[in-house]
Amino acid sequence: ARTTEDTARLLQYVRFQSRNFENILTWGSGPDSTPDTVYSVEYKRYGEKEWLAKAGCQRTTQKYCNLTMETGNLTELYYAQVTAVSPGRKHDSKKTDRFSSLQHTTIKPPDVTCIPKVRSIQMLIHPTFTPIRSEDGHQLTLEEIFRDLFYHLELRVNHTYQMHLEGKQREYEFLGLTPDTEFLGAITILAPMWSKESAPYMCRVKTLPDRTW
Amino acid sequence: FGPCRVEGVVLSELWEAFWAAKSTVQNQDDITSVRLLKPQILQDVSDAESCYLVHSLLKFYLNTVFKNYHSKIAKFKTLKSFSSLANNFLVIASKLQPSKDKDMLSISESAHRRFMLFCRAFKQMDTEAALVKAFGEVDILLTWMQKFYQL
Amino acid sequence: VAVLPAPQNLTVLSTNMKHLLMWNPVAQPMETVFYSVEYQGEFESLYMSHVWIPSSQCSPTSGLACDITDDVIATVPYNFRVRATLGSRTSAWSTLEHPFNRNSTVLTAPRMEVTEHGLHLVIKLEDLGPQFEFRVVYWRREPGTMEHIKVVKNGDIPVHLETMEPGAVYCVKAQALVKLIGRHSAFSQTQCVEMPEESLPLAL
Repeated sequence: ARTTEDTARLLQYVRFQSRNFENILTWGSGPDSTPDTVYSVEYKRYGEKEWLAKAGCQRTTQKYCNLTMETGNLTELYYAQVTAVSPGRKHDSKKTDRFSSLQHTTIKPPDVTCIPKVRSIQMLIHPTFTPIRSEDGHQLTLEEIFRDLFYHLELRVNHTYQMHLEGKQREYEFLGLTPDTEFLGAITILAPMWSKESAPYMCRVKTLPDRTW
Repeated sequence: FGPCRVEGVVLSELWEAFWAAKSTVQNQDDITSVRLLKPQILQDVSDAESCYLVHSLLKFYLNTVFKNYHSKIAKFKTLKSFSSLANNFLVIASKLQPSKDKDMLSISESAHRRFMLFCRAFKQMDTEAALVKAFGEVDILLTWMQKFYQL
Repeated sequence: VAVLPAPQNLTVLSTNMKHLLMWNPVAQPMETVFYSVEYQGEFESLYMSHVWIPSSQCSPTSGLACDITDDVIATVPYNFRVRATLGSRTSAWSTLEHPFNRNSTVLTAPRMEVTEHGLHLVIKLEDLGPQFEFRVVYWRREPGTMEHIKVVKNGDIPVHLETMEPGAVYCVKAQALVKLIGRHSAFSQTQCVEMPEESLPLAL
C-alpha cells in the first residue's frame, strides 16, 4: 500500500483479506491516529478513472469494510482506498495493491460429514457456496469457479500410515478397516492451477464394534 | 489453445514467478485508470481464435515488453521472476503453431483486431510507463491463458 | 601481477531434478580462491546476450560446485559461466561448453518399502521433492490377475494401497513422474508381500 499525501501517519496495512471470495478490506491505525479518527472507504476497478464511495463505510471508526459485492466480478481487478481524518484537520490516505479475488482468495476447509460403520468410514463433502453469482444470478460454488478443483482425503491409521482417496466427487468411503478402532480423517480442497489448497477439515472417528459371530 | 497444443509448461510455475514480483512491479504503475488488456480484448475468444491471439500477445511480450523492461529491474527477486516468465513464455510461443490455412483467415483477422486494440492502448502511453503497465498485467494474461488449459 | 587462470572443465551433474554445476579448482597455494557463477536462459541469450544473472546460491563461493537447481526455472537451454577471484585479481569467464536443459536430468527408479499392516498393503516411497509424483502398480500374484495403478503425490508418507485377502501374495513396483519435463523414471524392482493366513476366531 502506498501513501498519496502523508500529512499525518493515521493509517497502515491497508489490504484485502479474502476467504472463499468474501473480500474484506482491513487497515490499521497509524502512530498519529487518535480514538476519534474516522475513516472513509472508496474503491474502483483497475482501468477506470473514478473512485466510488462505499456506502456504510464513510466516516466510520471501525477498521474493516466488506467489499464483497463491489469486487465480485472475477475478470476484473480492483483498488480500494482509505482516507483517515483526525481532529485538527489531519488526514492521511492509503490505497491497496491491485486486487484480484481469483488470485488472492484463500479456500476455507470444506464442510464434511464423517459417518463411521463397522469396517468402513464414509465421508460426505458438502458443496461450498460463494458470494459470486453467475450471469443468471445463481450463487456459484467453488467447484464451478475452479475447474480443476478436487478433494484429497486422508485417513491416518495409528500414526503409522495413511489411506488416501482423491477425486472431484463428494462421496467417499474408506474400506477394509478394523472394527471398534479410532481413526483421524483430514479432508482438503485443492485447486492446483491457482496453487490453492485449503486447510484440512479434521474428523476423529471410531468404527463401530463388530457384533456379528 | 484450441488446435494448438503446448506441453511441458506448468502454469503454477509462471504464477509463482509473477507473484514473487507482483507487488513491486504493479506498484511502479501509478496509472490505475488505464488497463491495456481490457476485458473486451480477452472476452468471448473462441478456442480456434485463442491460438492466434496468445501467439501474438506472447511474441509482443517477448520482443517488446520483456526485452525492454529488463533494464528497469533493480531487485534481484524481480530479475529471477522476470527470467522465469520470459523463458517460459519463450517455450510456449515456440510450441504454438497457428494454422495458416485460408479458411482460418476470418478467425485470424478477428484475433488480429483484438491484438491491435492492445497495441494501440500500449502505444498511446509513454513507452516506459507502458512497459511497466504491461509487465504488471501478466496476471491478466495468465488468468486468460488458464481458461484454455486442458486438465 | 600474474593473471588469474579461469576455472576449467565446467560440467553439470543433474539427477532427479537436482542440478549441480562443477568445475576444476584454480590452484593458488596457501590462498582461498572464490568463484562466481552466472547464468542466462534462452530468452536472455536470444534477446539480450549481454545479460547474465548471478546465481542465487554461489556468487561468490569458495567451493568447487554450485547447486543451480533454483536458477533453472524453465525447460529451456541455460548457459552458465564461472570465474575465479583472488583478492583484487579476477580471472576471465569460463563458459559451460553445452547449454544445460533440465529435461536431460537423470531420473532414477524410486526406492520403496512395501509392508503389510493387518490386511492393509502399505507402500513408503522416497521423498524426491514437490516436482515428483509416483505411479505405483500393484497386483495379486495369481494367473490372469489385473494390475492396479495408483498415483501417489508425495513420497515421505506411508500410503495404503489395497486391503488384501489372507494367504494371497501381492506384488508392487513404482516409477517416478515429473510433469514439468514430461518424463518418468524406470520402474523400481518389484517387491512382493505374502499375507498371513487368517487366524480362526476363538470358538466359544
